Amino acid sequence: MKAHSFFALFFTITTAVQAFDTLESEFRTNGNMMHAVVTRAQQSLQEFSAVIYEGRKEAGYGIVASEEGYILGKLSELKPLKEIKIRVGDQEFSPVALVAEDVRWDVALLKIDAKGLKPAVFAETSDIGQGSWVVANGATSRSERRPMVGILSANFREIRVEGGAVLGIELKEDKEKIIVGNLPEISGAFKAGIRQGDIIVSLGGKKMKNRAAIAEFMKDRRVGEKLEVSYIRDGKEQKAEVELAGRADTYGIEKSRNDTMSGDVSKRRSGFPRVLQHDVQGTSKTVGGPLVDLDGKCIGMNIARANRAESFAIPVEELREISQRLLEEARKK
Amino acid sequence: MKTLSALTLLAMLIFANAQEHPRLPVNDKKVPAGTPDMREIETALKAALPATRKATVCLELGQGSGSGVIISAEGLILTAAHVTGGVGKEITAILADGSKVKCESLGLNSETDCAMAKILDKGPFPFVEVDRDDLSKLGDWVFSLGHSGGYDKDRGAGVRIGRLVKIADSTVQSDCTLIGGDSGGPLFDLHGRLIGIHSRVGSNLQQNMHVPIREFVRSWDQMMKSEFMGEGPFAKKPVKGSGFLGVATEDAKDGKVRVTKVGRESAAEKAEMKIGDAIIRIDGKDITNKDAMQKILKDKAAEDKLSIVVLRDGKEIELKVVLTER
Repeated sequence: MKAHSFFALFFTITTAVQAFDTLESEFRTNGNMMHAVVTRAQQSLQEFSAVIYEGRKEAGYGIVASEEGYILGKLSELKPLKEIKIRVGDQEFSPVALVAEDVRWDVALLKIDAKGLKPAVFAETSDIGQGSWVVANGATSRSERRPMVGILSANFREIRVEGGAVLGIELKEDKEKIIVGNLPEISGAFKAGIRQGDIIVSLGGKKMKNRAAIAEFMKDRRVGEKLEVSYIRDGKEQKAEVELAGRADTYGIEKSRNDTMSGDVSKRRSGFPRVLQHDVQGTSKTVGGPLVDLDGKCIGMNIARANRAESFAIPVEELREISQRLLEEARKK
Repeated sequence: MKTLSALTLLAMLIFANAQEHPRLPVNDKKVPAGTPDMREIETALKAALPATRKATVCLELGQGSGSGVIISAEGLILTAAHVTGGVGKEITAILADGSKVKCESLGLNSETDCAMAKILDKGPFPFVEVDRDDLSKLGDWVFSLGHSGGYDKDRGAGVRIGRLVKIADSTVQSDCTLIGGDSGGPLFDLHGRLIGIHSRVGSNLQQNMHVPIREFVRSWDQMMKSEFMGEGPFAKKPVKGSGFLGVATEDAKDGKVRVTKVGRESAAEKAEMKIGDAIIRIDGKDITNKDAMQKILKDKAAEDKLSIVVLRDGKEIELKVVLTER
């Protein structure tokens, strides 16, 4: 999105005394009375969504991927959690193991010791048209998943990573050498073994002359991509494979005015190859679960609460492929 | 009798309109009864979406962007006063397909957040019907469009669903979530008739406020005449005398007002006024001395536009000047 400032909406409500009529909250778009209207969708959420807890706190949702206890979830939200517990239906499971991951799509595959779970019923297609009703998990109780409704809002599209994909290195130039400066420990470069003082020679096999060349080269890179970095340390050339991360994931997000009116949004909300956009009003804690249609079929996986007006889901076409791939990987182990 | 027949005619018109688009039965239910009612909403929304989306534009001016909606083939646009910010401002509108057209803001009401603009390029443009009869009621299902966060061709204008949850005199509230960039964008009933313009939000996701169309109807004629109405919070009225041309002049012996200095980056410099020019007319009024010129300028505000005719090398040249802040 373009980096200019926007007319922000006024953040206050007119306080002038006016006569008004109000619709009681239970009848509103996400009021309690709507639960009974989307019964098939609710039944699906009940059967094949998983509630993920850290201790007693709700931390997110997941999708049951197989009857023997494989669960899909949002990787970046799950990874930092300690003491994960999972509830499917009204059964609680622990321990939970992280058995496979897809960094590009931000999807984790978890394993619990369970049998006879009902895996998600995938729809044929997610291309059901803008304006179509969709349903996702809202709040939850011990035994009951509560549905929230919305519609598909916009075109399928790629969400380029905010601020671009980065190696996670501060670079200095000295006598035509590109020298590694500060690098946070969570950066891909640090994890691959690159350290302060190393001299960068080439990226992806291409010689790099200066910082500008690196900036140009990084423009077309994607989050999750693995890049071969050649560097010189102690006079010897060495190689490392660096997994690229989003700028926001490495350095944090600067809050925009729109962010301040969006409440609790996902930390990772960009860098997805293709998403479905919808307007179900979630938070960072309601993603990871299934997005279903009115017939209760899974048309995608909620992957990010982007802002006040936009939520993103991985379309079922890609989700099916990701799920199969991660399941195969996990079963091989 | 005359009044009565006029009323009857009005009633008939409303009736005709209502017949053309009968009220959806689901709107008269407290809550949809089940999947068929949900499908009724969905079907109506999907039918209304292509045309309403085509008429929804992104408005860019200065460093910011908002939204607006075209309501006539000639390119009349309804938007919010806090988007246009004033009268006679140059705006670029981006249509749904990405093409850009030039616009100018017309009048506004700074108390209710109503504003109009018109496209200066030649039409016809895609447009929507306006619900001038105010047919919507509390609880009706509605949808909003807007260029949230600015124009994004890959995404398009995002559509959001909700109900009218509060109706007050000069504001309606829906639970269609809005965000920056949506300001000035349209709120529609399920027939795709324009019922409101996005204005502001509260921190709660339920607090999305729109200016109802009846407020536009109330200020319609004045807005068409480019009037700046009210002293409300949504736009700041230009202050008389705040406009600055940025020249020094003298009453020359030949009876002309001659320019002796042109200020750096002044309004005069931007309009390419030169030292030695004789100012002979401002907005059609003859200028014979400095006092006559000052009299006109002291009523002008920053950003006001003037036509100044100067005499240079025996030729009359018209300069278009936009005054700056004093």
